[in-house]
Amino acid sequence: MPVLEKLLRSKVVIWILIVLPGLWPVWPIFIQHDSTVLADPLKYILHHLGFTACVLLAVVLTFTPLRVLFPKSPVALALNRHRRLVGVSAFAYAALHFSTHVLYEGGLESLQATLKIAAGKPFQLVGLIALTILLILALTSFPAAIRWLGGKRWKNLHRLVYVAAALSAYHQAAARKIFPQQVLWIFGPLIVLEVLRVMKERKARRPVARPPAASAA
Amino acid sequence: MLIRTPKDWELPESVVTPESAYELRPRRDFIKTLGLGLAGAALGGNNILAATAGFPSKENPAYPASALKPTAYEHIISYNNFYEFGTDKAEPKDQAKKWKPEPWTVELAGLVRNPAKIEVNDLINKLGGIEQRVYRMRCVEAWSMVIPWDGFQLSKLVALADPKPEAKFLKMTTLLDPKNMPGQRERSLDWPYVEGLHIDEANHELAFIATGIYGKPIPNQNGAPLRLVVPWKYGFKGVKSIVKFEFVAEQPLNTWHVMQSREYGFLANVNPMVDHPRWSQASERIIGAGGVLGARQKTLMFNGYEKQVAPLYQGVDLRKYF
Repeated sequence: MPVLEKLLRSKVVIWILIVLPGLWPVWPIFIQHDSTVLADPLKYILHHLGFTACVLLAVVLTFTPLRVLFPKSPVALALNRHRRLVGVSAFAYAALHFSTHVLYEGGLESLQATLKIAAGKPFQLVGLIALTILLILALTSFPAAIRWLGGKRWKNLHRLVYVAAALSAYHQAAARKIFPQQVLWIFGPLIVLEVLRVMKERKARRPVARPPAASAA
Repeated sequence: MLIRTPKDWELPESVVTPESAYELRPRRDFIKTLGLGLAGAALGGNNILAATAGFPSKENPAYPASALKPTAYEHIISYNNFYEFGTDKAEPKDQAKKWKPEPWTVELAGLVRNPAKIEVNDLINKLGGIEQRVYRMRCVEAWSMVIPWDGFQLSKLVALADPKPEAKFLKMTTLLDPKNMPGQRERSLDWPYVEGLHIDEANHELAFIATGIYGKPIPNQNGAPLRLVVPWKYGFKGVKSIVKFEFVAEQPLNTWHVMQSREYGFLANVNPMVDHPRWSQASERIIGAGGVLGARQKTLMFNGYEKQVAPLYQGVDLRKYF
């Protein structure tokens, strides 16, 4: 365990883990020459970037519940050092995913048409809203922003990340003709952890609120 | 004699994707492929069902390879929607590898004077063999290919079955074989896959049953041994691995319509003016074209076959009946 903890504490390791998925499409396109992928390589890249954004968003959201559930785990503590980095990288992948979509639809010259279509389709609009939320959170992710907004307001603003996650899950589920199972294994564990966390936090609060029955008797 | 008047359903070069966007497959290669298919039949000796190899096809000059630039063979056979063998585009190629669509018996049933259960090779012999046609193919997912099919005109099969006057629709059903079709063991769709055409659509000269691609027997993942091709409709109308042609009085419930009626209709005509609720149908990606960035082109009404098929839908509200 100490090895894992040591690795996860390292910023370099986290950077590598974040950047590698972005390079993945090089393998099927340029090395493997996968004829399914080469049928429409940009579509593969588009889906891959969106997929990675969803995974990173779900992963960063597990950090807090992991710390609450396992307060003494060095791994959970190590992970929580990187909340900002992983969170901003989820936004970066979402932004790349959107840029690829614009390119896929015909590039900058058809940007207006692309946005007009997106505004009229709930599936696409939801993705855009999630991206906008992540953009706001990324822009206010720096210490100066916390000072400027004040801790409480900053925290409330950053709770919007849960809205972004829900919208992303919907967006991903609606991206295929039939429900893609991967949505469940990306966002499922997060939901389980959040439920356990809320249960634990409530339990921790309850004895304080309740009058001590034993001493009254 | 040198000046050939193009048939009205041939597409002028001007509407075809620019040559530069395509990986060109020279006519020579094309003929070579056909030759290989024939050689394969001579050497193999197995009864490849409905195989183009067993039924050397002649290019129907009305649907020539030269009018459209065909998509590369490897893309046609590795970018497939055939949920019976998995929902990812790459899965059917792998999961259908071991599947043996033989022997294959086709049923002509329902309101017909000539019901029959017939072995697929006998059926093709009866229908006078096969021919080759190059068609556009437009998927509802907004991508397109150009495919040199081998096969026969569906109207010949209709004539063979000889439907009674009360038969108004043709219902076509894919094989139900969960043991060998892994996708059918999951509930992704309501199995078996069913598609249908109005009898006038089935009798249209463009409606085609494919038995081969590029002069080779149609690969399993593309719907061996018999697969419907209706080029003016979205690809999901092209029901694969057909075992039953049933003539019925009522409009059959087609699988994707059952799955999501708000998104997929019965007619499913290619129509750039009517969007899918989740994406635009105004344009399409061209499979295998344009390198890593790819290429896109405007989608044509009825996928470029408007002149031929529009009369079928006179007075039909294509927005309502999408």
